[in-house]
Amino acid sequence: MDKICRILLVSYGVYLLIPLYWLVMISLQANADIVSGFSVVPEAVSLANFTEIAASAVWRSAFANSLSYVLINSAISLLVAIPAAYVFSRYRFLGDRQLFFWLLTNRMAPPAVFLLPFFQLYSAVGLFDTPFAVALAHCLFTVPLAVWILEGFFSAVSRELDEMAHLDGFGFVEFFLKIFIPVNRGAIGVAFFFCFMFSWVELLLARTLSGSAAKPVVVVMTRTVSASGLDWGVLAAAGVLTVIPGVFVVWFVRKHLVKGFALGRV
Amino acid sequence: MIVKPRRDKAWLGVLPVLLIVAFSAVVPLMTVVNYSVQDVLDFNTRFFVGLEWYEATLTDPRFQAAFFRQLAFSATILIIEIPLGILVARGIPRTSKYTGLIIVLLAIPLLIPWNVVGTIWQLFARSDIGLLGVVLNSVGIDYNYTSNPADAWVTLVAMDVWHWTSLVALLSFAGLSAIPPAFYQAAEIDGAGSWQIFRFVELPRLRSVLVIAVLLRLMDSFMIYTEPFVLTGGGPGNTTTFLSQYLATMAVGQFDLGPAAAFSVVYFLFTLLFCWLFYTSVIREDDG
Amino acid sequence: MAAIELANVSFGYPSDPSVRVIDGLSLSIADGERHAILGASGAGKTTLLNLLSGIFQPDEGQILFDGENVQGIGPGARSLTQVFQFPVLYESLSVYENLIFALKNRGEFDAEASKRVTEIVGELGLQESLERKPGQLDLYQKQLVAMAKAIVRSNTRLVLLDEPLTAVDPIRKWQMRRVLRRIQSRFGMTMVYVTHDQTEAMAFAEKISVLTTEGIAQTGTPDELYERPETPFVGHFVGSPGMNFLPVEALARDGLVGNGTTMIGFRQDWALIEAVGGRPKDLFDVTGIVRDVRLTHTYAGLEVGLIHLETSDGEIVVAGGKLDIGSEAGIRIHKVVRYEDGRLEATDDR
Repeated sequence: MDKICRILLVSYGVYLLIPLYWLVMISLQANADIVSGFSVVPEAVSLANFTEIAASAVWRSAFANSLSYVLINSAISLLVAIPAAYVFSRYRFLGDRQLFFWLLTNRMAPPAVFLLPFFQLYSAVGLFDTPFAVALAHCLFTVPLAVWILEGFFSAVSRELDEMAHLDGFGFVEFFLKIFIPVNRGAIGVAFFFCFMFSWVELLLARTLSGSAAKPVVVVMTRTVSASGLDWGVLAAAGVLTVIPGVFVVWFVRKHLVKGFALGRV
Repeated sequence: MIVKPRRDKAWLGVLPVLLIVAFSAVVPLMTVVNYSVQDVLDFNTRFFVGLEWYEATLTDPRFQAAFFRQLAFSATILIIEIPLGILVARGIPRTSKYTGLIIVLLAIPLLIPWNVVGTIWQLFARSDIGLLGVVLNSVGIDYNYTSNPADAWVTLVAMDVWHWTSLVALLSFAGLSAIPPAFYQAAEIDGAGSWQIFRFVELPRLRSVLVIAVLLRLMDSFMIYTEPFVLTGGGPGNTTTFLSQYLATMAVGQFDLGPAAAFSVVYFLFTLLFCWLFYTSVIREDDG
Repeated sequence: MAAIELANVSFGYPSDPSVRVIDGLSLSIADGERHAILGASGAGKTTLLNLLSGIFQPDEGQILFDGENVQGIGPGARSLTQVFQFPVLYESLSVYENLIFALKNRGEFDAEASKRVTEIVGELGLQESLERKPGQLDLYQKQLVAMAKAIVRSNTRLVLLDEPLTAVDPIRKWQMRRVLRRIQSRFGMTMVYVTHDQTEAMAFAEKISVLTTEGIAQTGTPDELYERPETPFVGHFVGSPGMNFLPVEALARDGLVGNGTTMIGFRQDWALIEAVGGRPKDLFDVTGIVRDVRLTHTYAGLEVGLIHLETSDGEIVVAGGKLDIGSEAGIRIHKVVRYEDGRLEATDDR
């Protein structure tokens, strides 16, 4: 059975890589070559598709828009989730459990349900077509997740740390910023990973809440298909570019990632 | 068990979370519920229609069809991804210099924008330029996911397995890594084979992790929108139109506020219901 | 049951084989013996245990079970069992299924085995728990089941106990020690008990081996280790507080130290004696042989009183019954008196 599992791991790894290989391969070919002749290994490799994206103002602003709402979202999520996770992990208070579970139920809401009200809400407060609309909308999903993950990590940190800092004469804010957060930077990295994992990959809300000015990459990509129709090479190159930030983030937190996945308070 | 001190002042710490989630969840949900019982002609003309839209939603044959397709899809991918994820996780070496690399590789699909996942599979599966499509057709299998519903389904399932099995595998691997080595030693001393180690040592200890894995996959697959939207656009015909896509067409495409709102409420309640059913059935087993 | 023999065993971890964690270790354990391996943390206890169980294989030397070399044989095939620091049971199986798990795996679950299981269950008082899942038991009961599980196979050659009382509630440790001794004498298994706690080793074992990073310092009965330690390390490590030592020169200058003193060194050969040692409970009249004795501190416990003295030749601890002095640290001491009732007194009277 151990052998079967090892074989499955390898096969699954190959299964993961083949479509990715194909994506990279197509991104390195001119559109004419892609459509005219099929070959498993490309005959001529060129970075033309990538330079086309780099030269295009639409693509550049799309990447900038995407990154800005992802970063705004992560910043807001972590900023509000860290204190909340801390009090959940350290104290009991009126309605604490109910609140915790209510937060988690938001994770269960299909984004499609919120399309309509979000559109109206963010139009009404004048945030429509700005990165803030998408960032705030994604908070509905990333904040509960961040609270959940951080609470697990914080609970594992001995309370004696808090008490020792108090005895050493640290004020609470000073303790929190100078001791508690640095001790938990791995946990915060993992929480960031999960915020990123949601905000970077989501399309439905991002598309609904952005007009022409704040158009993110994912939307430009779907519109490229319909507009220019068949420029597969550019589409693939854009796809490759969207994979890179993810790989970068996961590499950054890889040491803490397994622990991050192990925390489940159900 | 550490007893936490009680301090109601701790509410200050959760206040920001509460405000932000209330702003982005409670207000919109109230709006949705409000619309779901009204007929909105324009923003100044609306009538109270009671539960009419709910009745319309539940009796709508297109809703029903999308609902059962949704159930079939979620069931299919759970049946494949959960066991496959567990077995793949068992195959990951626990302490090898490659462990980190394998984890990074497995995590990659989770970080690819969902529409790009659709694009990747489109590029991969098309019968004119896709590796999969071309290879299948050249060995004599007639495969075309844009015209054949069965092919479209298989491709969607294959794509979801590609996209999400990693999540189950990473969760399971985390669970497996938390098992103390003594349990493996004891099983070896008891003459247990690898199947018995899996059955009696690993599976019982993976329980809580698997509950999370099933819950996440259940609710996420129930919300699936982007990947089929990009890959098949819900077609051919409506054969791969799931609930989210139907709802999006209604709300944004046709701007039918009332029916779309009623649909949303029903949809949310069904998602909660399925998660709750699964969760309580697991908990009840615990007590027995 | 089996006699266990380690002959000149050496082992280093594969990550750095040049560092010998175990170096040329030899040890004999008789068939049916209760043997304890006592050592401080880092002495290599766990490594030794893993060599016995077959998780590690020695780089050099041999491990013999009843004369049979078990080199290359894994834990599953050595016919041994192990009780761990915390209870290791199959959570999804009932207590009874746990007990017969190993028997069933090996196709040994026949009428005779079933009778033995019933007997063990009776001996340990587990009848009430048989249908329960481990999750419904407390730590003590779980560890009891783990012990029962370790002796169900009648052909078990060796039972390894890895600090099995660690997780048990302190007030129930004595109870579990008694149970262990009882089942050992009832079923006559060879048992090796690894611990850093000398009370545990003394209470359990017929023979104790003191393990240090250098190898086994001494093997002997608890009495032998206590009364006739062969090296200063053993004398100091066994007993709490440990033995007092004075270098031989100090002894040669002024004669013996109090009562109950012990020569430390090789085979009572005067030429090789390094030091003279005395148990704190035996020693009192130190003033005749060392110069410049000063009181460093005193300890007044409920059952024992200790006086710590600093001498020109090292620290000395004298133990007695209750202590009722309030002397200041640093004063010169000329006499320590132990009264008939065990009470101690340190004075500067000549």
